[in-house]
Amino acid sequence: MSVLILLSVLGVVLLYIGLSGAGSRAGASSILAPIGVLGVAGAVALLLRDVYINIPDFAHMLAFNDMSRWFSVGILVITGLIFLFGLDYYAKEEKNVAEQFALIAFSLVGALMLTSYTNLLSLFLGIEVLSIPLYILAGGKRHSFRSSEASFKYFLMGSFASAFLLMGIALIYGVCASFELGHIKEVAATSGGNILFILGGFFVLVGLTFKVAAVPFHFWSPDVYEGAPTLVTAYMSTVVKMAAFAGLLRFVNMSGMPQSVGQALVMIAAVTLVLGNIIALRQSHFKRLMAYSSIAHSGFLIMALVSSAPDNERAILYYTFTYSLATLGLFMVMTIAKRAANGDEHIRIFRGLFRANPWIGIVALLLLLSLAGIPLTAGFMAKFKVFQLALGQGHLKLTVLAVAMALVGIYYYAVVIREAFSPSDQAPVLVVSPVNLLVISLCGIAVVVLGVMPQWVL
Amino acid sequence: MILLALIALPFIAGLLLLIARPNAQSRSIAMVASLACTMIVLSQCWRYTGGELTFLDNDWVPDWGLRLKMGYDGIGLLMLMLTAVIFPFIIAAGAKENQENPAVVNALLLFTQSFLFGVFTAQNAFLFYIFYELSLVPLFFYLLFWGGANRRAITMRFFIYTLLGGLALLFGIAYCVVQEPSHSADFSALHALHLPYDTQVWLFWALFLAFAVKLPIFPFHSWQPDTYTMAPLQGTMVLGGVLLKMGLFGVLRFVFPIVPLGTEHWRELVVWLSIIGAIYAGWIAFRQTDLKRLVAYSSLSHVGILCAGLFAWNTYGITGSLYQAFAHAVLVVSMLYIVGAVQRRTGTTDFSVMGGLKLKSPRLAALFFLVMINAVALPLTQSFVGEWLMFNGLWQMEGGLWMTVAAVSTIILGAVYMLYAYQRVMLGPDTRVKPGVLLSEIADADQADHFFLVPLIAITLVLGFYPAPVLNLVQGSVQLLLSSLN
Repeated sequence: MSVLILLSVLGVVLLYIGLSGAGSRAGASSILAPIGVLGVAGAVALLLRDVYINIPDFAHMLAFNDMSRWFSVGILVITGLIFLFGLDYYAKEEKNVAEQFALIAFSLVGALMLTSYTNLLSLFLGIEVLSIPLYILAGGKRHSFRSSEASFKYFLMGSFASAFLLMGIALIYGVCASFELGHIKEVAATSGGNILFILGGFFVLVGLTFKVAAVPFHFWSPDVYEGAPTLVTAYMSTVVKMAAFAGLLRFVNMSGMPQSVGQALVMIAAVTLVLGNIIALRQSHFKRLMAYSSIAHSGFLIMALVSSAPDNERAILYYTFTYSLATLGLFMVMTIAKRAANGDEHIRIFRGLFRANPWIGIVALLLLLSLAGIPLTAGFMAKFKVFQLALGQGHLKLTVLAVAMALVGIYYYAVVIREAFSPSDQAPVLVVSPVNLLVISLCGIAVVVLGVMPQWVL
Repeated sequence: MILLALIALPFIAGLLLLIARPNAQSRSIAMVASLACTMIVLSQCWRYTGGELTFLDNDWVPDWGLRLKMGYDGIGLLMLMLTAVIFPFIIAAGAKENQENPAVVNALLLFTQSFLFGVFTAQNAFLFYIFYELSLVPLFFYLLFWGGANRRAITMRFFIYTLLGGLALLFGIAYCVVQEPSHSADFSALHALHLPYDTQVWLFWALFLAFAVKLPIFPFHSWQPDTYTMAPLQGTMVLGGVLLKMGLFGVLRFVFPIVPLGTEHWRELVVWLSIIGAIYAGWIAFRQTDLKRLVAYSSLSHVGILCAGLFAWNTYGITGSLYQAFAHAVLVVSMLYIVGAVQRRTGTTDFSVMGGLKLKSPRLAALFFLVMINAVALPLTQSFVGEWLMFNGLWQMEGGLWMTVAAVSTIILGAVYMLYAYQRVMLGPDTRVKPGVLLSEIADADQADHFFLVPLIAITLVLGFYPAPVLNLVQGSVQLLLSSLN
C-alpha cells in the first residue's frame, strides 16, 4: 500500500538529509520539519483517494475501510502538527535532529498498520513498528538521567506487553487455526466458549491496553511522560493513543470476542476512570498530570469501546482526535512556559500566563476546558456521546461512575486554569515563535469549531 | 428573530469590552446593551397573549437530538423579564465599587446575562444544559479574581458543587435521550416520555440534583453562605438575584414534566427538606453579625420556602413561587446594595461594631427601611403576595397544615433577624463605626443611591399592590403544566 511505502521513504529521506550534513547543523529542523509536513500531506492526499478502500493488501494482511482511513488521516494531521512543533523545539539542537524526525516517520508506519490490520500478525507488526522507534525517542535527551530511565522503563514494560500480545495471538491461533480477523469471527460464533480462545482474547487485550495506558497496565506512563522530551511525550499521548485505540477498536469490533472479554473491558474502564482521575488530583508536575489525564481519558474511551459496534467507531475517532488536539496544544504551551521558567515543569510555570500573553492564555483556557468537558468545546461533545453510547448499551452504573469521575477531572484542569489566570509576582517573558503560535491557535480554534459542529467528524 | 438579539447583543458587547478594554466607559456601554435587552423583553411581555412561542427551530447536531430550538412560554417570559429588569441594576451597582479592570468585570457580567437568556429560552434539553454550564464560566473568573478573602478555595468549592449537579443533569439528559425513540432532546419530546415508575424514582434525583444545588436547598447548600460572602457585591447580586432562578426554572422544565411519578414519590421529602432548610437558615441568620452573611442566610431561608411552594405542586404554590422568585431577585439586589452602601460608610460589614448610622444618614436609613419591609413580607409588598400564594399552596397539600405552620414560622424568624439587623446598624443614640473611619466623612444617601433604590422599591410596592400583570403572565402556562401532569 503506497501510503506505508511513502512514509517509510519519508523516514529514509529524513535520515539521509541528516547524513548529508545539512541536517546536522543548528537550525536543521527548519529543513526537516517542512519535508516531514510535506510527506505527511502527501500521505493524506493518497488516503483521500478512494482507490484503496476495502481492498485487501499485502497478502490479506491489511485492508483500509472507511474508519481506518479517517483514523489514519487524523493520525497524519496530528503528526503534521507535531512536525511543525519540532521546527521550533529542535531549533537549538545540533546533533541527531534528523533521527528524531525519521523515527517519528517510521513509527507512523506502525500506527497506520494498527488502523488497518485484518490479520493478527499485522497487528503485532504494527505494534512493534510503532513502539520500537518510541523506545529510542523517549531517551532523546541523552544526558538526562530521567530520559534514559523513561526509555529503559518503556522498553522493558513494552516488551513485556508485547510478549502477552504474542501469547494471546498464539492461543487464538491454536483455537482458530488462523490469524485472520474474519475467520476468527466465524470460529468465535461457533466455539467462542473455548477457554483457550477467551484467554487468548484477554492476552491480546493486555497487550493493547498497555499501549493506551489503561489501569492496571498504566504504571509506565507517568514516568515515561515525565522523562521523555516534551515533543515525544506529546507524540505518545496523541498519535500513539489514536493508533492504539484504532487497533483496539478493530480488534473488539471485528474479532467477535465473547461476552466475558467485553466484561473485562468494562472492569478495566471502571478502574481506569477511578484511578486515573483520583491520582491526577495529587499531581503538581504538569507532565505527570497530563499522564494521569491521559489515563483517565483512556477510561472514557474504553467505555465507548464496549458500546454497540458501528456507532462507537465515529465516537472514538472524534474523541481521540479532539483529545489529541487539546493535548498537543497544551504541551506546546507548556514548552513555551517551561523555557521562560528555566526548565521547570511544575504547574506553577503557568502562573501569569494570561498576563504575559493574553491570546496564549485564552487558547490554553479553551484547550483545558475541552479536556475538562465544558460545553461548546469538543471535549464536552465527546464525553456526552460516550455517555449516550454507554447508556444505550445499558451500562448504567459505569456511566454514573464516569459522570462522577468527569467531575473529578474538571477539578484538576480547573487548578491549571486558575494558575494560568492568576497574577504572578514577575510575569514570565514568553518567547512564542510564529509557527508555535500558529499551531497552538489552530488547536484552540479546532477544539471550539469541532465542539460546535461535531457532525463534521462524527 | 429579535429575541436572538437578546443572546447576541450582550455577548457581542461583552466581547468588545474584553478586546478594547475601555475602562472608563465600560459601564455605560454595558448599561446600554443591557437596557436594550430590557426594552426587547418588556415589549415581548407587552405583546404576549399566552401559549408557547418558538422563534427559532434549526437542526444542529441531529444524531444527538441537539437542536437549536428556542422560544418561551409564560414561565420563561417571566424569567426573561426578571433577568432583563435586574441586570441593569447589577451593572449600575458597580459604579460605587472600587474595582480593578472594570471593562473585564462588565464583560463577564454581560456574558452571564447572555447565557442566562439562553437558558431561559432553550426549548431543547441539551441546549439548556450548554447554556446552563456556560453561565458558570464567566462567574468562575469573576469570583476567582475579584472575590474577597480565601476566594481561591471557596470559588473552587462553588464550581465543583455546581458542576456536580450539572453532570448529574447531563447524565439524566443522556438517559432520557437514549430512551426517547427518535433520540430527540426537545423538551416537547421529553415531556411526552412516559418512563416506568421505578426509573422515575431514581431519575428524579439525577435531574433534580443540579437544581437543588443551584437554588440551593438543604442539605446541598453548604457552598452558598461562603460564596455569597466572599463574592464581590455584583457577583453576589448575580448569584442570588438571577442565577438561582435557573434552579427554579429547571425544576419546572425538567423535573415536573419528565418525571411526574418520581416527583410524586419524593415531593413530601423535598418540601420538608426545604422547610427545614428555611428554618435552619433563618435561625443561623439570626446569629450572624456580618451583614453580608446575614443576607446570604436570609436568601437561603427565602429560597427554602420558594422551593417548598414549588413542590406543593398546585396552582397556588407554583404561581406563588414564581412570583416570589421575582420579588426575591429585587429584594436581594436592593438588600445587597444597602450592604455595600453601609460598608462604604462604616468600613465594615460587621454590624456588631456599628450603630446609630441613621443620625448621620437618615435618607439611607429610610431606604433601608423600605427595602426591609419587603424582606419581612409586609402586606402591600411584592414578597407578601408571593408568600401568601405559597402558603396557600402548601396548605392545600395533604398534611399541609404542619408544613404551613412551619413555613410561616420562617416569616417570623425573618422579621426578627431583619429588624434586629436594622436596629444594630441604623438605630441607637450615637453613631458608631469601625475604628479608623472618620465620622465626619459619613455621607447621606446621594442621588445615585436614590436612582438605584427608588425604582426597585417602586417595583416592590407597585407589584405588591397590583400583582396582576405578573400573575397573568404565568397563569396560563402554570395551568397547562399542571393539567399535563394529571
